[in-house]
Amino acid sequence: MSFDWSAITAALPELLQGLDVTILIATAGLIGGTVLGVLTAVGLNYGNWLVVAPAQAYVALIRGTPIVVQVMFIYFALPIMLGIRLSATSAAIITLIVNSGAYTAEIVRGALDGVPVGLKEAGLAMGLSFRRVLAYVIAPIAFRRALPAMGNQVVAVVKDTSIFLVIGVGELTRRGQEIMSENFRAVEIWTAVALIYLVVISLLAYSLRVVERKARLP
Amino acid sequence: MSMIEFREATKRFGSHVVLRPLNLRIETGEVAVIIGPSGSGKSTMLRCINVLETISGGDLRVDDISVLGPSRDVRRIRLEAGMVFQQFNLFPNLTAMQNVMFGPIQARGRTKAEAREIAAALLQKVGLAERMNHYPSQLSGGQQQRVAIARALAVEPKVMLFDEPTSALDPELRQEVLKVMQTLATEGMTMVVVTHEMNFARRVGSRLLFLDGGRLAHDGNPAELLTAPPSERFREFLQHVD
Repeated sequence: MSFDWSAITAALPELLQGLDVTILIATAGLIGGTVLGVLTAVGLNYGNWLVVAPAQAYVALIRGTPIVVQVMFIYFALPIMLGIRLSATSAAIITLIVNSGAYTAEIVRGALDGVPVGLKEAGLAMGLSFRRVLAYVIAPIAFRRALPAMGNQVVAVVKDTSIFLVIGVGELTRRGQEIMSENFRAVEIWTAVALIYLVVISLLAYSLRVVERKARLP
Repeated sequence: MSMIEFREATKRFGSHVVLRPLNLRIETGEVAVIIGPSGSGKSTMLRCINVLETISGGDLRVDDISVLGPSRDVRRIRLEAGMVFQQFNLFPNLTAMQNVMFGPIQARGRTKAEAREIAAALLQKVGLAERMNHYPSQLSGGQQQRVAIARALAVEPKVMLFDEPTSALDPELRQEVLKVMQTLATEGMTMVVVTHEMNFARRVGSRLLFLDGGRLAHDGNPAELLTAPPSERFREFLQHVD
């Protein structure tokens, strides 16, 4: 067979539209997931059992089920249970937030745990409230400790968007599948799709390394 | 009114008794040096004063504020009782200057400009004016501990608590820290110092407290106690330290 470059050129505009959707879902999922994850981690580390128990159940539930099952549940089962309508894109974003939130919670929990107790005591001993100690003493150190694992999480979330093809979200992988089912140029289309992911994720990984380097303690 | 007053104060960790009912007053201007074998409760006693540990029974008042009061009272006590730790506990992401500015800004609500002025003066005082832009990891242990002392002083406490401030330091670095502490004592700062430095206790201390098994075994003038140990137990302890 011959590699038909024109198949890629023809498909590129639509694939890039798919990339837009991928980036939109990933960004919303990451921002929401980070907020949810940090709150969950703070609850896990410093809350009483009324906070800790549901937080633990949430993390266990998400880590113990496949993301495909989660999105199926949120897209098909949840609307029936709650009597609401949910677009595929909304379901995808909610799934990513809930999913990434659980993994982020574990990352942040570990990072908070790793901050030396002495620093917390130094802050408290000055007469700061615990909230201030958390915000101004513990958080800056925990943030740095969480960065490498959070980098992995960011990359994982971007790639996880591809599974939303199962509910018909027009993201990059779904677009590739649709184009291929019309022109049957599997080699060209999947090469193009893979390369687009690779470029985006490499750029992302590089910028994360820059952030990590800038934040490194002297 | 005493600066610090233990009234039948006790401390337990579970079933393990660390401090037996303790009665003790430390007055303004005193330099109380606490010594004793490891596990005798020295550090716990100090940590109870600024409520990093909470007493299990009795009462403990700092500047007439009870450590058992609401969290607002606990914060007031901590503002008045500066703490210097064995492991320095400087904030590694901040420079020496920023470490010292931290308390005035965060705990005392000072402006950045005011905090900078306070910090510059204190770093000068501990002899580290030239190092103010260094991070903790770029300073020697002795320098880190001097920054930590400046950081505690910047909150303008009425009493300074030192928890084995030289124990993590090489012998040749201890003197620079002890000298700063001696200067503070000369200036009239009320101090409670847990240490194994007997020379410091003798020269700088106005009072020596010997803790043994969670009990205050001896309490008196450092020179007198060290010259004529009143008990066999104390004599033994001194031999092991020297």
